[in-house]
Amino acid sequence: MKILYKMKTKLTAFLALLLITFSANAQIDRSTMPVAGPEPEISIEKPQEFQLKNGLKVLVVENHKLPRVSYSLRIDNKPIATADKAGVESLIGSMLGNGTTEISKDEFNEEIDFLGASLNFGFSGGFASSLSKYSDRILELMAGAAINPLLTKEEFEKEKTILLENIKSNEKNPDVIAGRVGSALSYGTKHPYGEFTTKETVENVTYGDAVSFYEKYFNPDNAYLVVIGDVDFKTVKKQIEKHFGDWTKSVGVNTSVPEPNENVQYTQINFVDVPDATQSNLSITNNVDLKMNDKDYHAALITNNILGGGGEGYLFKNLREDKGYTYGAYSSLGTDRYGASRFNASAKVRNAVTDSAVVEALKEINRIKTEPVDPQTLSDAKAKYIGNFVMALERPETIANYALNIKINDLPEDFYSTYLQKIKDVSVEDVQRVANKHLKTDNARIVVVGNGDEVLENLEKTGIPIKYYDKYAAPTEKPNYEIEMSADIDVAKVLNAYIEKIGGKEKLSNVTSVNIMAEAELQPGMMMNLEMKKTNKNQFSQEVTAMGQSVMKTVIDGESGYVVMQGQKSDMSEDDLKKSSAETSPFPEVNYLNGGATLEKIEDVDGEKAYKVNVGNDTSIYYSVDTGLKIKEVKTTPMGSQSTFYTDYKEVAGIMFPFKISQTVGPRKFDFMVKEVKVNEGVTDADFD
Amino acid sequence: MKKCLFTLALLMLVSYNATAQKVEFKEFDLDNGLHVIMHQDNTAPLVVTSVMYDVGGKDGDRERTGFAHFFEHLLFEGSENIERGEFMKIIPANGGRFNANTSQDRTYYYEIFPSNKLELGLWLESERMLHPVIDQVGVDTQNEVVKEEKRQSYENRPYGGLLKAIGENLFKVHPYKDENIGKMEHLDAATLEEFNAYFEKYYVPNNAVLIVAGDIDYDKTEKMVRDYFSAVKKGPEVVRNFPKETPITETIKATAYDKNIQVPAIVAAYRLPGQATRDAHVLDMIATYLSGGKSSVLYKKLIDEQKQALTVQAVNLGQVDYNVFALFALPLGDVSLETLLAEMDEEIVKLQNELISERDYQKLQNQFENQFVNSNSSVEGIASSLATYYLLYGDVDIINNQLETYRSITREEIQAAAKKYLSPNQRVEIEYLPTKDEQ
Repeated sequence: MKILYKMKTKLTAFLALLLITFSANAQIDRSTMPVAGPEPEISIEKPQEFQLKNGLKVLVVENHKLPRVSYSLRIDNKPIATADKAGVESLIGSMLGNGTTEISKDEFNEEIDFLGASLNFGFSGGFASSLSKYSDRILELMAGAAINPLLTKEEFEKEKTILLENIKSNEKNPDVIAGRVGSALSYGTKHPYGEFTTKETVENVTYGDAVSFYEKYFNPDNAYLVVIGDVDFKTVKKQIEKHFGDWTKSVGVNTSVPEPNENVQYTQINFVDVPDATQSNLSITNNVDLKMNDKDYHAALITNNILGGGGEGYLFKNLREDKGYTYGAYSSLGTDRYGASRFNASAKVRNAVTDSAVVEALKEINRIKTEPVDPQTLSDAKAKYIGNFVMALERPETIANYALNIKINDLPEDFYSTYLQKIKDVSVEDVQRVANKHLKTDNARIVVVGNGDEVLENLEKTGIPIKYYDKYAAPTEKPNYEIEMSADIDVAKVLNAYIEKIGGKEKLSNVTSVNIMAEAELQPGMMMNLEMKKTNKNQFSQEVTAMGQSVMKTVIDGESGYVVMQGQKSDMSEDDLKKSSAETSPFPEVNYLNGGATLEKIEDVDGEKAYKVNVGNDTSIYYSVDTGLKIKEVKTTPMGSQSTFYTDYKEVAGIMFPFKISQTVGPRKFDFMVKEVKVNEGVTDADFD
Repeated sequence: MKKCLFTLALLMLVSYNATAQKVEFKEFDLDNGLHVIMHQDNTAPLVVTSVMYDVGGKDGDRERTGFAHFFEHLLFEGSENIERGEFMKIIPANGGRFNANTSQDRTYYYEIFPSNKLELGLWLESERMLHPVIDQVGVDTQNEVVKEEKRQSYENRPYGGLLKAIGENLFKVHPYKDENIGKMEHLDAATLEEFNAYFEKYYVPNNAVLIVAGDIDYDKTEKMVRDYFSAVKKGPEVVRNFPKETPITETIKATAYDKNIQVPAIVAAYRLPGQATRDAHVLDMIATYLSGGKSSVLYKKLIDEQKQALTVQAVNLGQVDYNVFALFALPLGDVSLETLLAEMDEEIVKLQNELISERDYQKLQNQFENQFVNSNSSVEGIASSLATYYLLYGDVDIINNQLETYRSITREEIQAAAKKYLSPNQRVEIEYLPTKDEQ
């Protein structure tokens, strides 16, 4: 069925409504969908305002519908570049809201709980809400937390550990890398929007830095407090004067926001190599100077919505529904009052289709620039936008945001009351014009973060020039995947060198069983344990436990084997058993010498040259050219590939074992630290039942 | 420190003069028996149209369980004027959202639109009530969908069989004993005639309530509702005569197995008076006292201090005929299920023997007031409450006076209810265990 509903002019819709109202027994025609009434006019409450002597501007939206109140404090500083101390703002942000100089952290949190209230802080403000009968107390607590926060060294160290842990766990996360490199290249690393937090910058931050950041920037000069709810203006004004009046102005921060980088002269691929990535993270981006008070703002919203706003967008329909390259493809067109924002079309795609996805995404961006949009598509996009806008209005946060937006973005007072009309007015021509103005397909960066070994060859064929960057946006050389290998080396030599290095054939042949126990930190304070047992009788067992519970267990005993995952046991297929048979032995390399392994090439593994030996169809093992040791293993399954890294070799019973085994799971990497290795003890046949 | 305590003392003196604002509404009936409740709130230009049918998992032939939930899927298939699959497309293309859900007691459908699409919402719901398409194609499609839902939500979800275990052990004769989603063999065996008969019996206007809430005009809305819904024919009155359960006087011990879990669970479930009773409200407060939030009694004791449980919950599951009050906990490490139950019982015994402290009582009041205020913060929430209170509680005014009920409950009543209902000999104790390999 075609959707019959078309946007009628306001007049006819209005007449239709009148007819219904005045004819007592209107015959409705239920065979077609009813025509919509006129677009509702938005009435957004006008806040009452006042300002404290210290500069704090207060907006009060009295709303007595429900006996509750919310306070939202926003310190409207200009974007701040923190350079080699990046991360300081996030640290101080997490330290705030945990007590005041007069109330300890525990008491503070307990009281908020008792009141049934909530209170949260960040480095640029805070939010609190409660029943209106506790409005004064929660305001007092909020003011205390803002003006006289309890900032302890202990809390600082705790937050620093969490932040460092977070950075570490995201080290190889392609999404994080893509986000960082995209902003850094677009805006420049000196720009507040382009700089980024690293382990080094966080380590540079001292407790004193965090406290002085608070002192310098957490000030009433540029702050707004928005009050919404069941309050009386006069009363709340007095309360705010009382609780926030003592907040002292700062000496005056006068930072200027630098200009972002210019858009590139020609469209180019900016490639970041992430070996082992199974997906490429694509982003086609250019800087735009778009502000909320531009007359094209509404057309820009709709244009972006049509291109990549969701499941109906051009990008989604092509890249996901038509081609199946990706789970989702979207775009965004940002606004910024300092003139630094971006257009960005992005998707995560399979390695094999990376080049095609770039071509197709560019095609869709060019399409919205050259082809007039179908009027039905335009009207559906508007309907969706209008619906979302209208529904959001019900939430008090939305109203607070609007009131604040008008102030800080210098918008006309009727900005939101005329919003729907302006959305409605966007024409087919507007969409095309705005697309041409802001989507710079001739001056775009196509940031691709992915597995160079697998995607570069095809990317080169697109004819788009490629520049290379490292994970921190510094220019670099094209990664070299071809390292020359001398002609006299073969797989037996590589395997023998390894066997010799870890102890020699004789010692290995005396080993009947190995038992390895290791543990990894899943997240701070939460350990995951791994126990692995192997014998020379083709027996293998591996169990992963977390918090005392078994997460996964694999047992192979010669001809049979099973896997237990989340309590569900399944027997291994013959195929799986066959694949595992070579690995069940304590030192599978001894078996590989009998065949089944091939030497492919020398590859770079995190800066170390290694021989790549392929075993079966799905496993590659890397042996260091320098030391001969096994340093990495990659298994490819239909679900993706999993890499294991072996480092920190130590001797046990005359044999070298890796004491650090790192495994990648999706974007995360877990470091298993080996606690104990037992050779020829601690393993019985019963372990493989 | 001193200053802080003083402030707290002051807080407790704050009187109850701040009353929650009233939700206004208007009601009328159509000749066909459809009850309509309108709630006008012009603060945001959106409108909710929703219908709650007085039919749930407990209704119908016990050899055909799961019909109510099945219908919730089937009635999105289309109508005489809405082609198959269009129902779910029309709504987003008009800036709206929709959903539906089913309990043992009722089935609820709703959509939210910008307020100028009110007529569209009424058209959609009236099409569903008047002449939905119930055919073999739709039945076959939804049969697959429901099976997949059952696999995902119950059979393959850890602890997904808990409610089933509670239902079948706590109820012997009342239809609450059967799973809400039903037995798949019942759905497989059902004929098209049976589906049509079910529709004609339960999906009649006199067995439903229509809510229109939001940015509306009362008169125009009433007129529109009459235009769209008057065509629906009245049906015979639905008569229910479920068998009554006899009280439990001796602890029932049961065991259930779940293949998706590693950590066993202990459940102690009590059968209680239905949700509209005053005692059910008292038990709501007891549940919150025991496990509502991180400073609650059981959370603090079993998780924070003694580190014996991974999770602990006391819930009072509201239903029309009988409520189910359940204690639920997962042990940490080697703690036995008996220990956990004993630890929880210790707190119940305290409730039975002593009054809860004034401060805890005040905190409970704060929590319930917060909950009450926030439940009326969205038009969507108000619409659902209006329907529920009308249809399942028989009193729409509860939307405004429920908080009064909670406020009037005393510490003594809490103690008395704990004594009256929460003794070990009145309950089912279920050890919910991981399926062993050979099972």
